[in-house]
Amino acid sequence: MSTGSDAISDPTFPAAQRPDAIKAIPVRHPWRWVAAVVVLAFAAAVIYTFATAPGLQWSVVGQFLFYPEILRGILVTLELTAIAMAIGVVLGVILAVMRLSANPVVSSVSWLYIWFFRGTPVLVQIFFWFNIGSILPYLHIGIPFTHLFWIGTTNKIVTPLLAAILGLGLNEAAYMSEIVRAGIISVDTGQTEAAQALGMTRVLVMRRIVLPQAMRVIIPPTGNETISMLKTSSLAYIATVGELFFIQKEISNFNYDIIELAIVASIWYLAMTSVLTFGQYYLERYFARGASRLLPPTPLQRFRRLLFRFHEPPPVGPFEPPPIYEERLH
Amino acid sequence: MATPMVLAESVYKCFGRLEVLRGINLSVAAREVLCIVGPSGSGKSTFLRCINHLEKIDGGRLSVDGELVGYRQRGDKIYELPDREVCRKRAEIGMVFQRFNLFPHMTALENIMEAPLRVRGEAQKAVEERGRALLNRVGLADKVDVYPNHLSGGQQQRVAIARALAMQPKLMLFDEPTSALDPELVGEVLDVMRGLAQDGMTMVVVTHEMGFAREVGDSLVFMDGGVIVESGSPREVLANPQHERTRSFLSKVF
Ligand SMILES: Nc1ncnc2c1ncn2[C@@H]1O[C@H](COP(=O)(O)OP(=O)(O)OP(=O)(O)O)[C@@H](O)[C@H]1O
Ligand SMILES: [Mg+2]
Repeated sequence: MSTGSDAISDPTFPAAQRPDAIKAIPVRHPWRWVAAVVVLAFAAAVIYTFATAPGLQWSVVGQFLFYPEILRGILVTLELTAIAMAIGVVLGVILAVMRLSANPVVSSVSWLYIWFFRGTPVLVQIFFWFNIGSILPYLHIGIPFTHLFWIGTTNKIVTPLLAAILGLGLNEAAYMSEIVRAGIISVDTGQTEAAQALGMTRVLVMRRIVLPQAMRVIIPPTGNETISMLKTSSLAYIATVGELFFIQKEISNFNYDIIELAIVASIWYLAMTSVLTFGQYYLERYFARGASRLLPPTPLQRFRRLLFRFHEPPPVGPFEPPPIYEERLH
Repeated sequence: MATPMVLAESVYKCFGRLEVLRGINLSVAAREVLCIVGPSGSGKSTFLRCINHLEKIDGGRLSVDGELVGYRQRGDKIYELPDREVCRKRAEIGMVFQRFNLFPHMTALENIMEAPLRVRGEAQKAVEERGRALLNRVGLADKVDVYPNHLSGGQQQRVAIARALAMQPKLMLFDEPTSALDPELVGEVLDVMRGLAQDGMTMVVVTHEMGFAREVGDSLVFMDGGVIVESGSPREVLANPQHERTRSFLSKVF
């Protein structure tokens, strides 16, 4: 041991004397092979059962997989997800900042909003917006103390699509605000202090310094929310919005191939969530810049590692960015 | 007599029931370097933070360059300054922290350029030129595009100093700028600060580096329990402390 440490501290130690690399026989992992066989056998059994199920017509699945109506439904689902998430994120950031405001009125408003929209089922909320015309047949928007006003029929303004967007988006904002708030709190207060000392206003500090750093904490759960939203958007069928779930249901109401069309929808939902999962890795990498010396691996890198890992010791757990500072306080 | 850069007259500050500053009186002339020493918890950081209004004082008067900090006086009435004004005044005072507090999502140059661009709205090109020149001045010309996490502590602190200088401040506040550094990195930061002092920057430096205080400081105050126990020229106070508390503190530091 002592000779070893001497060798390291002596910079003139000749490289030629470096010892040979260790040539050891690696530890065998027989249980990994056993597990693989069991899993494969089970998967084969499941696939076989479904593939040969007497009542299941795979030809119908194939026939409807790229059916124009289904494809149009997918577009509506994507549109609904994108708009509802956009509302959720923007409103969520606003609510989170309000929640952390020093002004008690502002922070209470945010608290009440979250309490209400997180506390009632999203299905009920969509249903509420869809039927709002029954209690408010006309919408007035006027400027007080003037004769300037605008009036419209509620059912013409709140279309089924808008009802779904409102229901999904406003509900999502309540969840997003909690995610954003956690992100904001995770940023070291020294950052705010340094920015303020440079003369930055509150708004500037939030926008340029705190939120970009909070992103690292905000992005992963937001990815989950987006994936979740993609599936939750199927609740828009209650407002008769022509998204994927509604369309497949309409078709199966007509031809009674219920399971076949459910499989068609599931295939598409799976495909869409897979693409989103992929995109999430790259977003995480982008916002991890500067925060750590190691960037999280791309999906391709992960996949390659998974293939090789079969012979390697288990990994040390998922990517964990190290703390932003090395704590070297006395 | 010229207006002092910093003038504190019986400055009081408490956190709840804890009195942290109990009547601080001092004055710092332009181009002067004042060093503040004292035991932990004596209120050094709090006083420094009051100077750029990161903390609000509860009593007394504190002014920078002849203007009250955080307030405006009209006749015998005192008005609280709106946020925007407070920010504008802070921009004229540079501050360097014990833990550097660089923005980790920006490169060294971006850290330096952020405030001149966003706070003052200066032109990109001029700011970038100044930023590069400042990095050169603190000896980090080759670290322009490096993120703070890839820099050593000493390098980070030098970037932090450059970041504060980019706003062309009339006063620089240092809160134990070398306390978080490994001993072999302290010198490079002190060298930069020494250069600043030679260029005539007005500086208030909270430090435990008595060598620096003696060599660079024009005056020194020893704080304990929220009051200034002793003040004078650094050589005199350090060589020949008059107070028992100063003596016992200095004997522990050396
Ligand atoms: N925001 C705060 N809220 C409550 N108490 C505080 C706050 N900031 C500081 N204090 C207290 O005020 C006292 C003085 O703190 P301060 O940071 O000014 O001391 P210091 O002289 O800088 O000490 P050190 O050498 O450890 O940095 C301490 O007792 C501290 O706990
Ligand atoms: Mg301190």
